[in-house]
Amino acid sequence: MGIVLYNHDLLADAYKVKLLLSVLGMDFERRTVGILPGNGNDAPAYRDLNPAGTVPTLVDGDVVLTRPEAMLVHIAECHDTSGRWLPAEPLARAQVFEWLAFATGDLAAAEAARLQAMFGVVPALADAFADTRAAFRLAEGHLARRALGGLTFIAANHPTIADLAIFPAVALAADVGIGMEEFPRLLIWARQIHALPGFITMPGVREVI
Amino acid sequence: MTLTKDKAALNDWYVVGISTDVTRSAPRRTRLLGQDIRVTRAADGAICVTLTGGEEDGRAARAEEHYGFIWATFGAPNRCIFPLAEAFEPDRRVVTCGTVDVAASGLRLVENFLDMAHFPFVHTDILGALDKPEVEQYQAEIRADVDEVWATNCRFWQPLAAAASKGGQMSHYVYRVVTPFNVLLYKTCPEAPDRFDAIALFIQPVEADRSIAYPLMVVVDSTSTDEDIVMFQQKIFLQDRIILENQRPRTLPLDPRAEIPTRADLSSVAYRRWLKTKALRYGSYEYAEA
Repeated sequence: MGIVLYNHDLLADAYKVKLLLSVLGMDFERRTVGILPGNGNDAPAYRDLNPAGTVPTLVDGDVVLTRPEAMLVHIAECHDTSGRWLPAEPLARAQVFEWLAFATGDLAAAEAARLQAMFGVVPALADAFADTRAAFRLAEGHLARRALGGLTFIAANHPTIADLAIFPAVALAADVGIGMEEFPRLLIWARQIHALPGFITMPGVREVI
Repeated sequence: MTLTKDKAALNDWYVVGISTDVTRSAPRRTRLLGQDIRVTRAADGAICVTLTGGEEDGRAARAEEHYGFIWATFGAPNRCIFPLAEAFEPDRRVVTCGTVDVAASGLRLVENFLDMAHFPFVHTDILGALDKPEVEQYQAEIRADVDEVWATNCRFWQPLAAAASKGGQMSHYVYRVVTPFNVLLYKTCPEAPDRFDAIALFIQPVEADRSIAYPLMVVVDSTSTDEDIVMFQQKIFLQDRIILENQRPRTLPLDPRAEIPTRADLSSVAYRRWLKTKALRYGSYEYAEA
């Protein structure tokens, strides 16, 4: 049995997983969970699979994952024969985990702000918009410092799953109403992600920038 | 925010929620024409819309339910909610597609809905193809007998016209603006080429430059799931949303000298002229809160 992704095409978290599957050229089955509108994530069968009711959910054989960054790690570890998307070299590997944690933590504000702006979903954060800009500033500063050493990706001298974990929030900033003119390094970096073989978009992510 | 004084805007019907979303235990708080409102459902199922705050705090607005939506008016509309015959055909799927918030005037949303020229560029490889951008000649008119704006004989090549599409088709469109903030289109149905799918965009003008959009699909489609139909429509509308939020001004200019239309904008020209004859100002660039 192949990979099954319980998916919703309007979610950044689902997009980052599909982006990795696509750049790896992998086939998978997608099953839409009826949300936005609807509460298909509350269906008993779905809660059995994913007690938190979050979307997406990844099923790969016996492995069931509900957190997108964990999905990226699993897919890279088990299905990336190049070994580049999750490098084994300790320094780069540590940086990947550092920025995966950033994507899960700091950048969660971006999706909260986006779902608020588009669908009126009330965020748990007091000011998701401000938190998003604060997270963008951190990533911008990181990329600016790396650029001084001639490095253009987040964690290594080539793209890794850390780049894919951060990319959707940046590419969807227009949905939130955040102008990217104050984040030039993020824009330059995003252009490199767009250029990856197997790159795909989602609604709100432009084909070209 | 206070309720507008624009008479033409007050004397019309607006969607303020989706019927199935408002239950006895789940009322809805929202805003219409600058006025905060509460939408509640009584034990007998009746819907009630009440103004909250402002000069008329506690007043009940007229409310009705049609086509899966809750409609309300603060004034005295001189006609009923428009007929939509397709919604009653037995083999039609009537699918409400959720809501999307947009930071733009509702009039801008209607005008974007009427526009075909953006299909290849905004809905690339879905509603249009980059190598087939031409908008062929069509007709647009204000129909005085029904007080609606119609655009007819519209044709556009579409790679993926609907959720049920198997390939490209030359879609035939008829557009119908039934009120300043409610618009419909009829387009060739991929499954039954002799019939037309009806797609509506109902708009709740929250403020003069903020809207909630409610797409409705009334389609002949025996294969797609409801989720597929909703997803198709949501994807399209979110592509539009980015463009809509970047238009300046956020309100719609009614002065004919404000923008330069081309032949492809015939429906927009008729729509703007119609708004002027109705003295509708809410959501326009010329609107100023007295």
